[in-house]
Amino acid sequence: MAAAASLRRAGWGLLRCQAVIRRQLYPAQRALHAATVWRRVLDEPKQQPPQYSAQQPSDSQPGGEQHDQEPPYSRPSYTDQGGEESEGYESEEQLQLRILTASLEFVPTHGWTVDAIAEGAKSLGLSVAAAGLFQNDGSELVLHFVSHCNSQLSELLEEQHKLVQLGQAEKKKTDQFLKDAVEARLRMLIPYIEKWPQAISVLLLPHNIPASLNLLMSMVDDMWHYAGDQSTDFNWYTRRAVLAGIYNTTELVMLQDTSPDFENTWAFLENRVADAMNMGHTAKQVQATGAALVQGLMGAAVTIKNLTGLSQRR
Amino acid sequence: MAASMAVASCWVLRGCRDQRLLLGWGRRLCSGGGRAAADARTHFGFQTVSEEEKGEKVYQVFENVAKKYDIMNDSMSLGIHRIWKDIFLHQMNPCPGTQLLDVAGGTGDIAFRFLNYVRSQREHQVRQQLRTHQNLSWQEITKLYQEEEHKSLGGSHVVVCDINKEMLKVGKQKSQCLGYSEGLSWVLGNAEELPFNNDSFDVYTIAFGIRNVTHIDHALQEAYRVLKPGGRFLCLEFSHVNNSLVSSLYDLYSFQVIPVLGEVIAGDWKAYQYLVESIRCFLTQEELKELMEDVGFLKVEYRNLGSGIVAIHSGFKL
Repeated sequence: MAAAASLRRAGWGLLRCQAVIRRQLYPAQRALHAATVWRRVLDEPKQQPPQYSAQQPSDSQPGGEQHDQEPPYSRPSYTDQGGEESEGYESEEQLQLRILTASLEFVPTHGWTVDAIAEGAKSLGLSVAAAGLFQNDGSELVLHFVSHCNSQLSELLEEQHKLVQLGQAEKKKTDQFLKDAVEARLRMLIPYIEKWPQAISVLLLPHNIPASLNLLMSMVDDMWHYAGDQSTDFNWYTRRAVLAGIYNTTELVMLQDTSPDFENTWAFLENRVADAMNMGHTAKQVQATGAALVQGLMGAAVTIKNLTGLSQRR
Repeated sequence: MAASMAVASCWVLRGCRDQRLLLGWGRRLCSGGGRAAADARTHFGFQTVSEEEKGEKVYQVFENVAKKYDIMNDSMSLGIHRIWKDIFLHQMNPCPGTQLLDVAGGTGDIAFRFLNYVRSQREHQVRQQLRTHQNLSWQEITKLYQEEEHKSLGGSHVVVCDINKEMLKVGKQKSQCLGYSEGLSWVLGNAEELPFNNDSFDVYTIAFGIRNVTHIDHALQEAYRVLKPGGRFLCLEFSHVNNSLVSSLYDLYSFQVIPVLGEVIAGDWKAYQYLVESIRCFLTQEELKELMEDVGFLKVEYRNLGSGIVAIHSGFKL
């Protein structure tokens, strides 16, 4: 648990750096309210959904906030999945994506390696040498998989959102929504769970960190977007950091989980989401207590002052 | 014209003081006489010769040096050519099952490295397999090992193709000495008209050979033809140094030392004179890249080794 906490902290730090670089929309206000941030971390969305559900999801949102479904600065080769084979002509990148998609099938047997890519190329009727198009460490394959899962998740959430808007499904509470979203995303790893530690190590290679952080950011961003987050202040960062922390720690728990259908993992996830919610309440209470305390102290000070006669004018 | 150039190379050969000037002159001659050869003239070192003549001359050069070729490579490059070839193989990273065509691979340096590489890759794979099925009975394990004996290369095969009989002869002898028999065959053939069917190889390599081919574009077209879709073209070749300090040292070394070594070790000054001159006359990295792209290779990239003393060009047939 200590490890998980430190990981979360580290993840937050990194995320914040990246987020600051990505979004320059925010003025100096982000430096303010450090204490009140936690209070507002998680309880705002609960109040907001009613307003939000009246809006079109794809439209730009008020307050200068622009949650794109696609990450704004992602590398095109990993995230631009649209427009595949729109014409008869297939570009080099599209072919590469096709090879990577075909290779996923061979990952459970060969791992996230060049061998899997070679098998994938073979299954498309290409020479095994086409694996040379990619780096030797299989990073492109892992990154492709992650971005593929992210777009799947985003489609899924989009669908659910539409159902809610049409009134065919009930709007979930924020904590339930987040839990379901993270669970849906983690379930995509199940076919590859045996080889997933290898993928994590690849994602953490220094040269892959920018790309993998970007993908993590975009995933968390999607989740919050569909959860109805419209914050334009410092909360924007804390929410994403907290959710990224939850996702990553749960992922680590999942790797160790031997229970049927990963029950323990989902229980852990539920608890962490609840923790995060509580954290918001606690922050609020602490602030309220703090304010009361300050008032009390001020009052005491004034009383003492009066008693000692310091405030008397002569 | 040809006579004056012969004189020029004689000067260089003697190692005269204003070598730099001569070098510049030689380069200009190369580009004038060689590349703009609409009439069938081409360059042989710093000389301008007819195209047939070049073929013959190159043949003679390699016929003469075949026996001493490997020793010369080691002594001239101080053994560094081995590292270059290892890097080249690493870049190729062939998986078991790869069909390789090694053109101009006379003495089999690339072919033997390829076989070693594939064998170790295969061993690694088998070990991985064993690790994943941990609860095997001993029968299964012995069966696996027997299979492995038969298929230690996983179906890989390398064809060494060279235009020069002498070089092939040396290569064959070497393969017998070193005990390479499986997955290896030797074919006499011209890089400009390969005696192979379309779409039959996964990888085409040409290491220190494309420089000696008369029509480089024909050789590239042939490479494109014999490769399977998705196949890879890899070329290891001397190229142009981009660092002026390295360049001056390199010129000094190649014009003053290499021909002398050639005379002492292989007893052939002219052959090694040709070697260094032909390097200066060869295309630059960018020019070769463009030529490859013109033929149809995609994702063409090159990588300089030793600040451009040699370069590895890679392209895919997609």
